[in-house]
Amino acid sequence: MVSKNTIKIHQRSVLTVDQLTVYRDARSKQQATLQDISFSLEAGTDVAVIGPNGAGKSTLVQSILGILPRESGTVELMGQSIGGKKGSIPASVRHQVAYLPQNFLVDKRLPLTVKELVALGWDKLGLQLPWASAKARKLAVQQALERVNAGHLGRQFISELSGGETKRVLLAYCLVRPRQLLILDEAPAGLDVRGEADFYRLLYELKAEQGWTILQISHDLDMVRKHCDRVICLNRRLLCQGVPETTLAPENLTATYGSEFVRYRHGKHAC
Amino acid sequence: MPSLSTSLDLFQYPFMQRALIGGILTGITGGLLGSFTVVRQLSFFSDALGHSALLGITIGILLGVSPTVVVIPFALLFAVGITYLLEKTDLWTDALLNIIYSSSLAISVVVLSFEGSSQSNLSNLLFGDILALQTSDLIMSGLLLLFCGLFIGLTLRTQMLLTLNESLAIARGVNVFAQRTFFMMFLSLVVAISIKAVGVLLIGAFIVIPACAAQALSRNFTSYVLLSAFLGAISAAVGIFFSALFNLPSGPSIVIVQLCFFLLALVWKGGLTRRLPKMSE
Repeated sequence: MVSKNTIKIHQRSVLTVDQLTVYRDARSKQQATLQDISFSLEAGTDVAVIGPNGAGKSTLVQSILGILPRESGTVELMGQSIGGKKGSIPASVRHQVAYLPQNFLVDKRLPLTVKELVALGWDKLGLQLPWASAKARKLAVQQALERVNAGHLGRQFISELSGGETKRVLLAYCLVRPRQLLILDEAPAGLDVRGEADFYRLLYELKAEQGWTILQISHDLDMVRKHCDRVICLNRRLLCQGVPETTLAPENLTATYGSEFVRYRHGKHAC
Repeated sequence: MPSLSTSLDLFQYPFMQRALIGGILTGITGGLLGSFTVVRQLSFFSDALGHSALLGITIGILLGVSPTVVVIPFALLFAVGITYLLEKTDLWTDALLNIIYSSSLAISVVVLSFEGSSQSNLSNLLFGDILALQTSDLIMSGLLLLFCGLFIGLTLRTQMLLTLNESLAIARGVNVFAQRTFFMMFLSLVVAISIKAVGVLLIGAFIVIPACAAQALSRNFTSYVLLSAFLGAISAAVGIFFSALFNLPSGPSIVIVQLCFFLLALVWKGGLTRRLPKMSE
């Protein structure tokens, strides 16, 4: 297990975060939401971020992506330093990163089809004619949808999909263009047990095919133990990180979630 | 009631031709921007902007300059100011808009009453006078349509992603504040320039109703945007024709036609029967 606040630089590091400090309320700066967070992701690995509600997990990924401003610290994506407080990520790097936010809710009245949503994952945004690269775009979208077994859903509105279908379509959004890094913020939230299992089966099939590196926020410790290569325990500070077998030990979970949680979890498992 | 041929004869007059062209240009531009305004839940913004613009017109009257000259910078300032205040205050959007537009309206009406504007002048401001459009107004509306079309056309995919999910857009490198401000500024220009034809009370309808009708009929987002613009144009043309046929005020006639299209769209989709029970829930 790697002790807290240490950096492990690898030759093929996809993401390196060094001494990252973030204030969610940047104006008042009363209490840091995240303080001195350092870690790195090797290419092809699957790393889970765990921690209680309010631990700063979503803040972490949002500050990496420039959605939230960083107070201090550095972020390096695909070997390129993302400078500045809100650090704009170069387009060449940004296209290799796919992000699925927490609670991806779509207004039921939005007339956006599945094909249009997936195509937005393919598009390089900026000034362009609406019909630019239409053929290549259409082909990429169809292939991505067929790969996630959603080819038949193309013409449907996003709002008409079931929870499981929505997640498959969002994976197609990630798949439609070659990516190196997937950042998932509680991606299977809202699915039942079977839906969650189906989601992870598809995710890991695609990961094996595409060689994706994954940084995912999760509350499902069993899934983390089963699938992830490394775990980062977060509660405003980086408490511990390492392989799941050792990092998910009771003492680390107690430090992350509190003793009540560990007693409850062990009691539940004993049953 | 004048006959159909008499009404059609009216379109030989330049003022009717200008009204028709102006109505169609305003309808297309309103429908185009309205498609995004509605799904981003900014409908109230366009309405509030229309009402607040009355203050700009009042300032123009007081200064003795053309209200159009004053109302455009006023509307742009309003758009930037509102966008800034929404970012910087904790107030609810509709509450903030309400404070600003009702205050602007109140100040304008009081000032206009002191200034001695006649009842008919006030009525023209409130409901517009599309028959009074000049060639210069048409040029301005045409240019505005051109710039709005270029803005929406060239940033369509960015606008779609921004409408879908703001975080997703930021993560993809979209400068949300800049895009939002540009959109608000275009919307403000549409409202400001269209007030002469449609009036402060009805301008919101040009933005909202065609888009709502298009939403009920569209099977994808791109067709929704295009259909919204088309319905805006066709409503204006039909509305002006009916206003000529029955000697009715043009602005309200166009809005009534827009409403008819909206109701027809709901019936066409079977949406009316589906939506009514939801409304009573």
